[in-house]
Amino acid sequence: MNILKIIQIVFFIFLGLLISSVFFILFKLSPLSGLGTLLYEGFGTENGWYNTLRMTIPLLIISVGLSVPFTAKFWNIGAQGQFIIGEIFATWIGLTFANIVPPLLDIALAMVVGFVGGALWAMPPTIMKLYSGANEIITTLMMNFVAVYLLLWIVSGPLEGAQAKLVGAPTSAPIPAMDMLPLIPGTQISSGFLISLIIAIVFFFLLRYTKFGYELKLIGEGQNVASYSGINIKRQIILSMIISGGISGVAGMVYVYGITSTLIPQFFSDVSTSFGYVGIPVALMASLNPLGIIFTSIFLGGILNGAFVMEAIYSVPIDLVITIYGLIMIFSLIGIMFDLSKILRRKKIK
Amino acid sequence: MNESLILLLIETILIGMVPRAMPIFSAALGETVDQSAGILNLGVEGMMLMGAITGLLVDYYYHNIVFAFLAAGAVGILFGAIHGVLVITMKLDQTVIGTALWFVGWGLSGVIYAAIFGISSAPPTVQTLGHIYIPYLSSIPFFGRFIFGEDPLVYILIVTLIVVDYFLFHTKQGLNLRTVGQDPRVAEIMGVNPYLYRYAAVIFGGLMAGIGGAYLSLAIVGSFYFDLTAGMGFIAVALVYFGKWKPWRVFAGTLIFGAVYVFYFMMENIYPKIPYEFYQMLPYVVTLIMILIIGTKARAPASLALPYVKGE
Repeated sequence: MNILKIIQIVFFIFLGLLISSVFFILFKLSPLSGLGTLLYEGFGTENGWYNTLRMTIPLLIISVGLSVPFTAKFWNIGAQGQFIIGEIFATWIGLTFANIVPPLLDIALAMVVGFVGGALWAMPPTIMKLYSGANEIITTLMMNFVAVYLLLWIVSGPLEGAQAKLVGAPTSAPIPAMDMLPLIPGTQISSGFLISLIIAIVFFFLLRYTKFGYELKLIGEGQNVASYSGINIKRQIILSMIISGGISGVAGMVYVYGITSTLIPQFFSDVSTSFGYVGIPVALMASLNPLGIIFTSIFLGGILNGAFVMEAIYSVPIDLVITIYGLIMIFSLIGIMFDLSKILRRKKIK
Repeated sequence: MNESLILLLIETILIGMVPRAMPIFSAALGETVDQSAGILNLGVEGMMLMGAITGLLVDYYYHNIVFAFLAAGAVGILFGAIHGVLVITMKLDQTVIGTALWFVGWGLSGVIYAAIFGISSAPPTVQTLGHIYIPYLSSIPFFGRFIFGEDPLVYILIVTLIVVDYFLFHTKQGLNLRTVGQDPRVAEIMGVNPYLYRYAAVIFGGLMAGIGGAYLSLAIVGSFYFDLTAGMGFIAVALVYFGKWKPWRVFAGTLIFGAVYVFYFMMENIYPKIPYEFYQMLPYVVTLIMILIIGTKARAPASLALPYVKGE
């Protein structure tokens, strides 16, 4: 992708941001100062950066995972559910084995089990799509709702912590501190950030330089082309969803082990933990390039963090970010489709 | 359980299921027309939420329920028209745009609500839509209340169902619309303007989604809260597949859903030992099962979700 195209996409994304800033008027803020505050709270202060990177960790992992099936135009909207199941599985491992096995082994085990959980949750919609043509957007979304209620039940039943019973707010018991992912020395950033960067780099090579990545791209360009060239479409789609679901599960594990330390219920109306949904615009904005996703996830993570602060200070509801994400999706798509050179050429002919 | 209790349960389900089915049905009927013309509208959920908040606001401030539904329909039409510009004229990916419109509607409905009523205040309430009890007929035991005692919009929606079904399968324009959904090139050769039909379809789809959302906030809940629809828009899309793009089958599917909602509200009280989260999962699990059952037998319009590029 050339530099002109990237500038063009960035321009359209900011156009989307500008348009969504109009809604600040509803809260007696001028659009530009509202937008300025939002970006300042996300990126302007040291503390803001720490919180932004906290948001970025699960977001980056999920979005990179989404870029795999999206490359094949298989629309996995179910990352949220896969993320939740990963959280549940990993927390269960942490609470069961914490004092039995050494911390490093516990972390490794939780990561593997989180991957398995997410991958399992991604399978029913995938199989339904491949063998009966069910629209994967609907089925993956339905799986999200089921996961949300499963989590609600688990934190108020099987995995309910003793302290939660006292407070009356359902959460699990905390993972022991020594089993948590350590902070990067000298900072307040969880080493989960390094894990997410490594995942992004690995996935860049997976999509760009392997036969698997190439075949997914062909499938995305059209099932006919792919089947003529002898690609096993079903196998590759299933594989892409195992990877995507599994990686979303790993994101859930890293979120619990690196940030929250307990399993917290997430309602589907709760935008602040909707990493699985936010991952969709993050991946699309970067044209599904895992290295680009590093930047877009920091960008949208910062907006999410800024919106948190704005809800606290100016009573601007955090739901505004979902609108911003929707508009950014539309405008980045226009930016990608929009061909500047074509329009310039047309002018010359005239 | 004895016999009379079971009868009472069935009667409760019959009475409760029709209103519960209507928000999904209204949206699903619009989606049926959308998809028959080859447009996959995944933004229904967002459009329903916008209809719900608009209807509530108008009714809350002007106490006029007719006006409230009209306003909700107008907002739906606006969203439908924007959807049309993006996917018909600009030919952007229908899946991504649908998801984006869902996000816009989801966030914006919450933003508007919070701007007017505040983030943490108690939700505003309005009186829910009254029912029409047809004299004598509505007091027929068992069936009377269920068939002759609904609110006016139920009857309007059923008339709309009959009209849409007649239009799609018994008029020339309906045939044209379905041809556009199957193959816009053929339609163009027949002298039909595919863009015109597709725009008409997305606008109708938006209108019905807006009305469906307003029905939820005005006739069932009598209020609004964040993410009120909780996936109903997507259930509506699923039911279009289940109904194989035939309005009457879609209607039957939505009634099943209405029954599921009533059923789980009832079972929560009858068997409180089962954690209530499992009851709440029920609509989504049923959707998955319905999609599974319908399987490969469903044949979508051939050009569904494909943009039409003239002369290609």
